[in-house]
Amino acid sequence: MADSAPNPNETSPAPAAAGGAPSGGASTAAVEAAPSGRGRSHFVSKYGLLVAFFLTIVIFCALRPESFATVRNLDSILTLAAAPMILALGLTVVLVMQDFDLSFGAMIGLSTGIITACTVTFGWPWQLSILALVGAIFVVGILNGFMVAYLGGSSFIITLAMGTILTGVEFALTKQNTVFGGFPDSFTWIATGSILGISNLIWAAVLVAVVIWLLLDRTEIGRYMYAIGGNPEAARLSGVRVRQLRVLGFIIVAATAGIVGLLLTAQDAGYSPSAGVAYLLPAFAAAFLGAAVFRPGEFNVPGTIIGVLFLGVIQTGLIMLDFETYVINLVQGGILIAAVLISRIGQQSQ
Amino acid sequence: MTEGGPRGTIEVRGLVKAYPGVVALDGVDVTIPPGNVLGLLGKNGAGKSTLIKALAGVVQPDAGEILVDGEATEIPDPHVSAALGFGFVHQELADVPNLSVAENVLLGLGYPKRGGLVNRRKMRSDAAAVLERLEVEIDPAAPLASLSIANRRMVMIAHGLAANARLFVLDEPTASLSDTEIEHLDRVLRNLRDSGVAILYVSHRLDEIFSVTDSVTVMRDGKTVFNSLTKDVTKAELISQITGSGQAIETRKRYVLPSGAADLMKVEGMTLPGVVEDASFTLKEGELLGIAGLVGAGRTELVRLIFGADKAAAGSVSVRGQEIKINSPRDAMEAGIVLLPEDRKTQGAVFSFSVRENITLPSLSSFRVSAPMPVPSRAKERAASRDLVERLDIKVGDVEHPARFLSGGNQQKMVLAKWLDSGADIFIFDEPTHGIDVEGKEEVYNLMTELAERGKGVIFISSEFVELAGSCNRVLVMAEGRLVDQLAGDEITESALVESCYSDEARKGALK
Repeated sequence: MADSAPNPNETSPAPAAAGGAPSGGASTAAVEAAPSGRGRSHFVSKYGLLVAFFLTIVIFCALRPESFATVRNLDSILTLAAAPMILALGLTVVLVMQDFDLSFGAMIGLSTGIITACTVTFGWPWQLSILALVGAIFVVGILNGFMVAYLGGSSFIITLAMGTILTGVEFALTKQNTVFGGFPDSFTWIATGSILGISNLIWAAVLVAVVIWLLLDRTEIGRYMYAIGGNPEAARLSGVRVRQLRVLGFIIVAATAGIVGLLLTAQDAGYSPSAGVAYLLPAFAAAFLGAAVFRPGEFNVPGTIIGVLFLGVIQTGLIMLDFETYVINLVQGGILIAAVLISRIGQQSQ
Repeated sequence: MTEGGPRGTIEVRGLVKAYPGVVALDGVDVTIPPGNVLGLLGKNGAGKSTLIKALAGVVQPDAGEILVDGEATEIPDPHVSAALGFGFVHQELADVPNLSVAENVLLGLGYPKRGGLVNRRKMRSDAAAVLERLEVEIDPAAPLASLSIANRRMVMIAHGLAANARLFVLDEPTASLSDTEIEHLDRVLRNLRDSGVAILYVSHRLDEIFSVTDSVTVMRDGKTVFNSLTKDVTKAELISQITGSGQAIETRKRYVLPSGAADLMKVEGMTLPGVVEDASFTLKEGELLGIAGLVGAGRTELVRLIFGADKAAAGSVSVRGQEIKINSPRDAMEAGIVLLPEDRKTQGAVFSFSVRENITLPSLSSFRVSAPMPVPSRAKERAASRDLVERLDIKVGDVEHPARFLSGGNQQKMVLAKWLDSGADIFIFDEPTHGIDVEGKEEVYNLMTELAERGKGVIFISSEFVELAGSCNRVLVMAEGRLVDQLAGDEITESALVESCYSDEARKGALK
């Protein structure tokens, strides 16, 4: 009824959203009926980050055509982004349900420790080491999930504490001794090899992205997970298995950490203690950046992918422009703050 | 009252507010003189809540103006609204439960201080003084969360009094209040009015409108359509103005249980100490069973135990003679029991979801692309939810619109829609008409009757005994956590239910 009603705001021209913007999937319906003033801020909050991402690429290409705008650089950016991508995607699953996981950095370290200890120290075939890793993934994921979802612990504190414990277990396994070599080539191929000319690392990231995108955006489980994030009590009273799905979320994060730990070990053909800590914050940054695009205020897989790539592009681009590390930190932090605030403004205008 | 003084008239002129897909206000004119209780009526989605939000500074109108003492006044945010002396008592409580009563009464008004620190003793005595004017006995030091809903509303009114408010806006203030509590509230409002305060009273309950208000304004489809002194208007006239149909809704025919109906669900010895005590009853196929009781009688708690939303200390549920183990709502649903929860905001709706996603949530697996794959087909979901939106007459531009854009009553209908086609056998509706307009209520009664006629078992909890008397073939009465009485057929009348609730047996919580 109201769509045809005269609207006092509709004197200004329609937003550019209708023309050039890539479609964000199914959720564009709300924009169509919106008065254009709202529509414009809607566009900024939904696609602002995407536009900024492409602009950044264009600028770097223009400034460093001979080094940035090359296939080799694309390959390098994607390869570098693979590990953060896998982690940020796993993290997105728990964030969708309003849970935190701060233990996955330590879980990466523990995974490298398990693979190294089993393969090099105990001399197991690497396939068996991976089986041990899978076991560890389930134990850690279920422990985290059980304490949070069933015992009601705050996910923030529980996973923080769990991270400390996992690092302890890692050190107990490896005695903090750095290890070089001792891995068969068939194992290191997992990370260093390539298929169809594309690095296995990139394939791994693509595979994880597809699986998690299907899970969150296409399956019943994904819908339930978003329902838990939106209103856990309403979800429970609608028959959603809230606690089981929250546990599943923690298992998925542990699994992505395990995959990254495996890839790191294979890539370096070696082990150094607490290798995972550095991955913790970038993954969170990427996921929160991602919540500022496509579906503002909601963690989503396409958003997370853009978030990871955006941070990667900036890092590589600024290095090529000979900026110092501190500038990269300032810019990445600034972009995260700006993106989160812009998506907030978009939500408030609703 | 004198014109133009500090207690002048508040006037709303030509207010317009559009949301995507819905024009909430379409030129609203309302005049609220001081020393007057103005009743504001209208169906769900008529624009009442939006009007209130505009007065509260929560929503910015697209056009029109608000005149305070004859001067056009902008209300860009709630602070300005408070500074103007507008006080609000919302349907859903908007207070701070973890603070004390006194801290809530004086919230935002500046606590009394001594040596730069809050003077707690003075704060409590200040709050106590305000509460005394409301004739309520509430300990100012008590945590707000420990109070009943009625007393929490009183604390909100006390907050307005302490702020020396000139206008009180009450949105469905009697929702979930008992009759005595409502009487008390009426008395407080009349005293406020006599002291020169303007009161805007929003309610769906016509009896209250006639007992409390001096004048009435009716809104329909975002416009004001009717103004009158309350004494000059009849109930039938008001209903026809609200519905716009020009005729009052006729009284319903009582639903009659078909003879020889088989037992469908048997609840035995359901107990949660201190809340529900040893409750046993049987629900037959095709039965429309009401549960009456005062607030706090344990009705909601009882059905939550049956549904597995809370864990019972003792008791069993059997469906068609077979005992079922219920540890979670999921278990109950698998046994064919569904529950429409009492509070749509915290238990019913997912506000980040679209209307479609809300409606299909409990039955998502029946919308699969193909049976073995747990992938929902949006096309199937859309078709089903559009059908339900139409059947329940939910006012929304499209099922893909976010649920948070719906008005309160339409949200309630959306939550109802979740369960209708779930294929369940036993439907428990806890206050399904809460916050719904006259026409919508009629639709809800029809839906429940329809389910019963199809052989389903329906349990209907309501605090409005008229609606239980008007629709159920049997009503259980609950008091103090126990089932104390039951009425069947023509012995179910409003007065009989009230009498039963207040009877000595009910007081003592004795088994009948």
